[in-house]
Amino acid sequence: MKIREIAEKLGLKHVCGNLDEEVKYGFTCDLLSEVLGRAKPGTLWITVQTHVNIVAVATVVGIKGIVLCNGHEYDKETVEKAVQSGIVLLKSEENSFLVSGKIYELGLR
Amino acid sequence: MNVQDALLEKLQEFFRDSKVYEFMNRDVICVTPDKTLLHVKEIMRIKRISGVPVVDDGKRVIGIVSLEDIIKALEGNYIRESVEKRMTKNVVSLHETDTLQDALKAFEKYGYGRFPVVDDENKLVGIVTKHDIIYFLLTKLGLIYLHDRRMEEALERSTSLVTGEVLERGKADFVFHIDYFDVNKIGIGAARLKRFLTEKGLDEELVRRVAIATYEAEANVVIHSGSDGYIYCLLDDEKITVRVEDRGKGIENIELAMKEGYSTAPDHIRELGFGAGMGLPNMKRYSDRMVIISEVGKGVVVELMFFRREKDENKGDR
Repeated sequence: MKIREIAEKLGLKHVCGNLDEEVKYGFTCDLLSEVLGRAKPGTLWITVQTHVNIVAVATVVGIKGIVLCNGHEYDKETVEKAVQSGIVLLKSEENSFLVSGKIYELGLR
Repeated sequence: MNVQDALLEKLQEFFRDSKVYEFMNRDVICVTPDKTLLHVKEIMRIKRISGVPVVDDGKRVIGIVSLEDIIKALEGNYIRESVEKRMTKNVVSLHETDTLQDALKAFEKYGYGRFPVVDDENKLVGIVTKHDIIYFLLTKLGLIYLHDRRMEEALERSTSLVTGEVLERGKADFVFHIDYFDVNKIGIGAARLKRFLTEKGLDEELVRRVAIATYEAEANVVIHSGSDGYIYCLLDDEKITVRVEDRGKGIENIELAMKEGYSTAPDHIRELGFGAGMGLPNMKRYSDRMVIISEVGKGVVVELMFFRREKDENKGDR
C-alpha cells in the first residue's frame, strides 16, 4: 500500500518524504532496540520518539515511513536527516493505539 | 590432547592458586541412598547431568552414581535396585579450599568427569566439572563466547584469539571512526556501512542484518564506553566480519549484559528510547557468530560474523 493512501485516509500531516513509497507492515514501539530487533523492511513505524535517531534506526531496518503520534513535533535535525535519507515523516494528533488500529484496518500487518 | 585440555593447560598457570569454591557449581543435585537407580537415571535425564553424589542425613558424601553406573545397571538388569547397594562407594572428593591445580590433577589422575566438593565436615557444598573450570577461566579473562553453544568450536576460537590471532585491521574494506559522544549521531557508521555493502551488490537481507547489528554496537560505544571507537568491516567470499572496538569502560558483567531487558543506560538515554536492554541480544540475533571480549577499564571488542549463504534457512522469522 502506498503511504499516500494511509496519510489521506487518516488525515495525517505530511512533514517530508515521498508519499508514493510502498509499505506492507506496521510496527508500534518506542524502544529503538525493539524496533531494530523485530520490525521488518517495508514497515510504517508508529512512535512518539522525535529525535534524530529514529531516522538512523529506520534507515538500517528498511523502514519506509514514520508516524509520530500524540501531536509531538519532530526535532529539526530529524526532519533534515529524514530528507537526506529518504524517510517519510508523518504526524498525528491521535495516540499510537488509535493510529495503529486505523492503519491495521486499512490492511497493513 | 583435545582442545579443552590444551586450553586448560595453557590457562592454568595464571590461575592455579584459585580455590575450588570460586569455580565450583553450588547448585549441586544429590540423592539419598534409599532411592532407586531408576530414580537417579530420571534425574540425570531431566537435569542433563552425568553424575549424582549420594549423601546421608547429615549431607555427608557417602557415594556417587555416574552415567557409567546407570549403563551397567541397565545392562545387568538391576536398575530398580537401591542406590545404596550399587553406588560407587570410594568417592574422590575435592575440598572447597583445594586449588585449581589440585582439581586439574584430580581430573588427570582419576579420569572422572566430575568431583563432589566438600567442606571440613565432609558435607557436600558443590560439584566441579571441567566445564565449570573452563567457564571460570574464561570469565576471569573477561572473555565469554556466545551464540554458538558447541563448546569445542567456541573453545577453538577462543584459543586463537588468546594467542593473538586477530583481524588485520589495516586490510579492512571499511573503516569508520566513531568520534562522537552525542547519542543523536548514533547510526552514522551503521548507515555508511549499509550503503557501502549495498554498493558492493550484496544481498539486501544480509546487508540489513549487518547494519542492524552494527547499529547496536555503535550505540553501545557512544552510550556506554565513554571513549571513541572504530568499526572495521572485512569481506571475503564466505562471510562479512564486523569488528567494533572501543577503549572505554568495558563491560562489568557480560552475562548480565547479554540478558534481554538488562541495561545500564542512564534515564536520560532511556527517555530517547535507548536502553531497552536489547543491544547485545539483537547483535546475537542478527549475526551468525558473535564474540565479545571485554575487560573493565580497557574497553570492548565485539566481533560479528555474517555468512554469505544464498538463503537464510535457520534464522526464523526475520
